[in-house]
Amino acid sequence: MIRPASSLARRAATASSARRTLATTARRCENLPKSTSPIVSKLNFFNSVTGDGTQIPTYRVLDGSGKPLEGAEVPEIDEAFATRMYENMMLLPALDNVLYNVQRQGKISFYMTSYGEEATIIGSAAALDMEDEVLGQYREMGVLLWRGFGLDNVMAQCFGTSEDASSKGRQMPVHFGSPQHHFHTISSPLATQIPQAAGVGYALKRDPARRSKHIAACYFGEGAASEGDFHAGLLLASTIPSPTLFLARNNGFAISTPSTEQFFGDGIAARGPGYGIDTLRVDGNDVLAVLSAVRAARQRCLTQGRAVLVEAMTYRVGHHSTSDDSYAYRSRGEVEERKRVDDPSGRFRRFLEARGWWGEEREKEARERAKKGVMEAFRRAEGVGRGELGGLFEDVYEGEQPWNLVEQREELGRLLRKYGKAWGPWKNELGKFRGEGRDVMGGEGKSA
Amino acid sequence: MHPPSSTARRVLNGLSKHRLAFQRRANSTAVEPPPAGGHLPGVATSQLLRPTRDAALRTPGIKWKDEDNSTLGGRETRKMNTYQAVRDAMAIALAKDDTAVVFGEDVAFGGVFRCTMGLAEEFGKERVFNTPLTEQGIAGFGIGMASMGHTAIAEIQFADYIFPAFDQLVNEAAKIRYRSGNSFNVGKLTVRTPTMAVGHGGLYHSQSPEGFFMAGSGLKIVIPRSPIQAKGLLLGAIRDPNPVIFMEPKILYRSAVEQVPIDDFELPLGKAEVLVPGEDLTLVTWGTPVYHCETALHVLRSPSEELESLIPTSVRGAKVELIDLRSILPWDMETIVESVNRTGRLVIVHEAGAIGGVGSEIASEIQKRCFLKLNAPVRRVTGWDIPVGLTYEKFHIPDAIRVVDAIIETLTY
Repeated sequence: MIRPASSLARRAATASSARRTLATTARRCENLPKSTSPIVSKLNFFNSVTGDGTQIPTYRVLDGSGKPLEGAEVPEIDEAFATRMYENMMLLPALDNVLYNVQRQGKISFYMTSYGEEATIIGSAAALDMEDEVLGQYREMGVLLWRGFGLDNVMAQCFGTSEDASSKGRQMPVHFGSPQHHFHTISSPLATQIPQAAGVGYALKRDPARRSKHIAACYFGEGAASEGDFHAGLLLASTIPSPTLFLARNNGFAISTPSTEQFFGDGIAARGPGYGIDTLRVDGNDVLAVLSAVRAARQRCLTQGRAVLVEAMTYRVGHHSTSDDSYAYRSRGEVEERKRVDDPSGRFRRFLEARGWWGEEREKEARERAKKGVMEAFRRAEGVGRGELGGLFEDVYEGEQPWNLVEQREELGRLLRKYGKAWGPWKNELGKFRGEGRDVMGGEGKSA
Repeated sequence: MHPPSSTARRVLNGLSKHRLAFQRRANSTAVEPPPAGGHLPGVATSQLLRPTRDAALRTPGIKWKDEDNSTLGGRETRKMNTYQAVRDAMAIALAKDDTAVVFGEDVAFGGVFRCTMGLAEEFGKERVFNTPLTEQGIAGFGIGMASMGHTAIAEIQFADYIFPAFDQLVNEAAKIRYRSGNSFNVGKLTVRTPTMAVGHGGLYHSQSPEGFFMAGSGLKIVIPRSPIQAKGLLLGAIRDPNPVIFMEPKILYRSAVEQVPIDDFELPLGKAEVLVPGEDLTLVTWGTPVYHCETALHVLRSPSEELESLIPTSVRGAKVELIDLRSILPWDMETIVESVNRTGRLVIVHEAGAIGGVGSEIASEIQKRCFLKLNAPVRRVTGWDIPVGLTYEKFHIPDAIRVVDAIIETLTY
């Protein structure tokens, strides 16, 4: 605001005080109300976070051959921890291979692989505390594996068996969840978890038992970052300071849409500073870089009590899902080339071998063990079967069930009693449920 | 939970210093706009409001939620309008539950309808705070807090602006318990939002979106009609183990005034209330139109000179049963069915449009359940199937005369 000159003149009793006053006024005029932006006289548009038009750099520790870059600090890591990371990175594709093929055989309805993103997922999982609250999108099964969720639970969810604690057979495959593993149940609507993570972070900050100990870690893809909820989530976590770590997996594709059609700016990282959020871009195929980045980001969340954004640059080697053939929009050659030049597991393996922590024998043994474990869990899940049909109507509400649900359950029971053995689609399906639907049919057929 | 602090106790006793300051501010007319009486004259003379301590303490279904087991004799009431009662409920929730937080757009200074007046000063900015202007963010943030077991009381400034949060509420909040096999839930989420017409709200300060949420299985939807109802139902909603959307008829914030018990009490969710018993026709409504219906019954009984020729004498003695539905989801089918089975006639009144409105749902269910007892078609008196045009409001909102007409037509069918 410009002060009227007359008031300045009145206040300027002497020459020196006038100079002081004018200087103060000039400084005061440097900012507009509710702004700390300095005033300039030159008209200058800008369109770069770095200021000089260069892109935000990508932090990397290991080069393609697994050697630390000059000047790069290898994160604190011992042999047991490093090999555990590697084995989890191996386990992911082992699981993906089996479940992808199992879907192709029609034994499960759907699947999504993590091919190519092993380093991003396992590196970040390893950097988090086991009790940090994780809110994921759907391609983060590796976090659960790292936390000891176990292959049986993976299979139970994908097959929707009676052992599926993630969703009681209600959600599509790969929609995992586990309160014991501090992993919030996945849902299909993209980006909805992002503002939720801000709320989780704030709750952690308000909880005396967890304050300054745990953070909310929120994963999402670069496509999901185009949703309004991304904007809302980062905005909320920054204005209502919350220890929330936003982890963007920028794998180049949202189904068929390349990231070049997803945004025109410098990726997701460029948006962080706009929200006043400390931001880092990391090579998502370098597991040690991801480990370092996420460890540091997590620490920043805790010490500042604020949000941090990490964008992991990676590549979606697999199809989007089993319902997608990615060669319809990208060449097989491009994918093969990426797998060849930038294989996150191979890169880390060479690092381990250089340290003498890994070798051909261990590789073979670990591969066998992973495959065996997966196959055992798969075969076991195949024989478990579904829970009771009544699960269809449960957990919609807590407390007294509304009359409509009570009556609709009875109505289904009546229909099953009448048509359950005569109507093919029901007859076949009922056999898959424990008690063959008798819990819903009630009456003389009731099982317990 | 921690025992309430001494401040909290004072709040609970209705004796806090703040509360006195709050009352002074609330009573000051210097900065207050004139009451938005608009299209709702009936509320000023309503017999449904409880003007005395005794009547307030005998509110049907009232459930005291404090340790004080003293008889009604020991309890106090205070004259409150609806926004004060809403504020009172939140103060109690905050005082008794350390995890409870209140947030939304402009709630820190007291809210654009004053429902959060003084709460930030009383309970701190960490517990009562502004959010950026993002409804989807507010809902998502509340879901996140509630999923951690914290009590999240979110405000959407107008129900007209709840649609950006529709995805978070319907796809997320409503389904989290079900989709997680009961391993996660957001039962501690309550979303408050002012609803219904206000006399001059136009398209986006008048809407009644409850019908859009009616298929949101997993949610509860509650709409109070008065200060006592607002306090009791809001405390019930905050503590209900399911996510609740609590829609407050904004025209009643200032206009509806009654004696409200100052102690902690709840009113039951999912239960309708019979306000006026009768045996000739059932009249079901909720929120603001409760008062239009009350006026309609008065007009029916003793029409003014101008209306006398239009209201047949045969219907003037009709005993109409007036029911406040209170909960939209789940709705109290049993009470309505029981009533219609006695009266044989049903008129449903709501401000939202007819198509896809809550009235359609009730009408079809009653038609199914009371088919042999119905003596006339179920009649719906609703807003027209158009947006709420500013200068047309008096011809859009179903007011007393439209209710009177529907009653006459249904009774004489």
